[in-house]
Amino acid sequence: MGSPVQLSLGVALKDEATFANFFEKDANAQVLAALKNLTATSSSEAQNIIIWGAPGCGVTHLLQAVCHDAYEARKSLQYLPMNELIGFDANDICEGLEGIDLVCIDGVDAICGNRSWEHAFFHLYNKIKEAGHTLVFSSHTSPPSLPILLPDLKSRLLASVVYHVESLTDTEKQNAMIMRAQARGMEMSEDVAKYIMQRAPRDTSELFELLDRLDDASLQQQRKLTIPFVKETLQF
Amino acid sequence: MSNTAWEHCVSFLRDELPAQQFNTWIRPLRVDDTQEELLRLIAPNRFVLDWVNDKYMDRIRDILTHHTTINSNQVEITVAARKVASFQKFRPHEDQAADMRGSRNGRAAPMAEAPSYNQNTYSADTPVNNAQPVNAAVGQSGGGPQDRDEFFDNSFNSINDTANRSQHNTGNSFSNFDETIPSLSSSVYQDYQNAGNVSDQERQVVSVPQPARINKSDVEGGLEHKSNLNPNFVFDNFVVGKSNQLGLAAATQVAENPGGSYNPLFIYGGVGLGKTHLMHAVGNALCEKRVGAKVVYLHSERFVADMVKALQLNAINDFKRYYRSVDALLIDDIQFFAGKERSQEEFFHTFNALLEGGQQIIVTCDRYPKEIEGLEERLKSRFGWGLTVAIEPPELETRVAILKRKADQARMNLPNDAAFFIAQRIRSNVRELEGALKRVIANAHFTGRDISVELVRESLKDLLALQDRLVSIDNIQRIVAEYYKIKVSDLHSKRRSRSVARPRQVAMYLAKDLTHHSLPEIGEVFGGRDHTTVLHACRKIKELLESDADIKEDVKNLLRTLTT
Repeated sequence: MGSPVQLSLGVALKDEATFANFFEKDANAQVLAALKNLTATSSSEAQNIIIWGAPGCGVTHLLQAVCHDAYEARKSLQYLPMNELIGFDANDICEGLEGIDLVCIDGVDAICGNRSWEHAFFHLYNKIKEAGHTLVFSSHTSPPSLPILLPDLKSRLLASVVYHVESLTDTEKQNAMIMRAQARGMEMSEDVAKYIMQRAPRDTSELFELLDRLDDASLQQQRKLTIPFVKETLQF
Repeated sequence: MSNTAWEHCVSFLRDELPAQQFNTWIRPLRVDDTQEELLRLIAPNRFVLDWVNDKYMDRIRDILTHHTTINSNQVEITVAARKVASFQKFRPHEDQAADMRGSRNGRAAPMAEAPSYNQNTYSADTPVNNAQPVNAAVGQSGGGPQDRDEFFDNSFNSINDTANRSQHNTGNSFSNFDETIPSLSSSVYQDYQNAGNVSDQERQVVSVPQPARINKSDVEGGLEHKSNLNPNFVFDNFVVGKSNQLGLAAATQVAENPGGSYNPLFIYGGVGLGKTHLMHAVGNALCEKRVGAKVVYLHSERFVADMVKALQLNAINDFKRYYRSVDALLIDDIQFFAGKERSQEEFFHTFNALLEGGQQIIVTCDRYPKEIEGLEERLKSRFGWGLTVAIEPPELETRVAILKRKADQARMNLPNDAAFFIAQRIRSNVRELEGALKRVIANAHFTGRDISVELVRESLKDLLALQDRLVSIDNIQRIVAEYYKIKVSDLHSKRRSRSVARPRQVAMYLAKDLTHHSLPEIGEVFGGRDHTTVLHACRKIKELLESDADIKEDVKNLLRTLTT
């Protein structure tokens, strides 16, 4: 029987998606400012934003960061990850959401071509706009290229303010990984980060998932992040 | 107490659950601040409530019991009530109060509706407990005692007004506008009496005007018409051009002579061309012309939803009475009636009743009546009884004029060349044109620069960019092999001759630049090579890009082919 595994649940430092732990690059300064402004203002005017970028560029992180800020500001919110929810009844999920201050729809690409979701979002968009509330979409596809069948929905999405989120370069990803490790209380040297970057998937979400594994293993084994430790843990 | 306990619980769940689950199911839950003895969580809708109840409630109860002073039987979860149907007289009081506060000055009530919390309470111990947290509802709607005082004062002014007015008008309803002020039903008074937290002073106020109680059968007195008109959509800010001048002329005529020969007015055209703007403009003009005009705007989906609700509540007569007592009924996007037979039938009868009563009907649609699939023939033919006008996509000059007008409204200076630049690129509809302008204005605000063609180009680069540069390695290998006129299998082979090795290095460089694959993965699909070979290839090509014009040209051409 192996030794009991120390659970890091509830012990690891929080690393939820916030603006503070989103690696900022100059090209993304404007989208970050616009998103932070959503919860900072008390404007009653409806605000609709779409952020889009390549997979791994951080749109999900940004939407969750907006939710974090809204929660802190005691605003009501609903986050909808469409890749998870596409199989459920669109009307059930959208019911009553016009009464919510902030609705974040993550991955609108997933519902393109799905008649019932397109209609549900069209009606939700109208009701949220009427209510003067905020709707934020994310997509991995340029909004004009979204294969939406319902033109009424597409034109409404394109009436939103569209921001592109630039992906990080490899060097920026490396620095982002060091920053995220630090946020979890782990010290990661540049050499270790470079070692991981040359071997691991270069998609940021997958890269940051590795940090979870390293965090757990480092806590269980009480070891620092060295190249041999990383090699052993991640089996490179 | 309950807020602190919930915060404590949330911090546990934040650490235990994946971020996606935490944000989807836990963060949307709010605490009902008005409860002192129990922790009542409010879910945005029944779906979230059911999910939380099913998946997380045990854990929530567990955390609260072990880490706070809350007991499991002090925890319950409820759902925010759905928006009530327009026709419903006996509406939840907090909605009624909110509406009345909004419509005090005689204008349309605000479109925002405070959520109410009076349905479907689930307790931690009892699976379903349809509790009625009346106090919570009043608190959540933001209506303090002072608000309620104002509300009652206005309510009774309204009730007294109604009591002095004559009964149901006949014939052309616009000739009797003065007699048809909407009023408040006595049920609201009952609701507040039952609320349990009405102060003595307030009770005194509400107990005075008993004679003004409205008879429920009083067609006019029992109904409160909520116009839903957007005050920003008026004729003054409608930009006219060749494409929409007919529509504008017809709408203006209807505003001047409602219920006349242009009844119904059927406006059709593509999305985002201003149909809804025109419709609201007529409604606003009618309200401007006659105070108290009962003009009701609604999307066809709302009509359907109200009818479904009426059927559920066995209140179809209230529904009929509501929609047949308006002076003007404005229904948007009628094409969404397609296939909804019962709604079509009800609308058909409402349509006939309104037409007979000389009440104005305006309908918008995305196509000509005869072309609407799934719509009854009798409705299609009736839509043609009045005037049918088309709105076409605006021509360039109109698009420029719209942009200039919108920029003026936003107090931004939009030079002509910049306006033309946008208008030439966004041609489909006005809504998208506005979206593009909003992006330009956001950029101008952020950078502190004036709007210029250069700034517009920079701003629209985001909007008009094609797919982000993300392609498959297979595709890269195919395109590179075609470009250098070699076989894909050569890229996988062990051959090291310059004619094959250089294209292979270019392909590896592009794979690293355009995909998220790791270096070992890239090496693997190039004939099982080591990641250091990929690293070497990338460094080599990067170096050659600085020194070799041919390679630079090749990479440029390949990038263009792969990313456009």
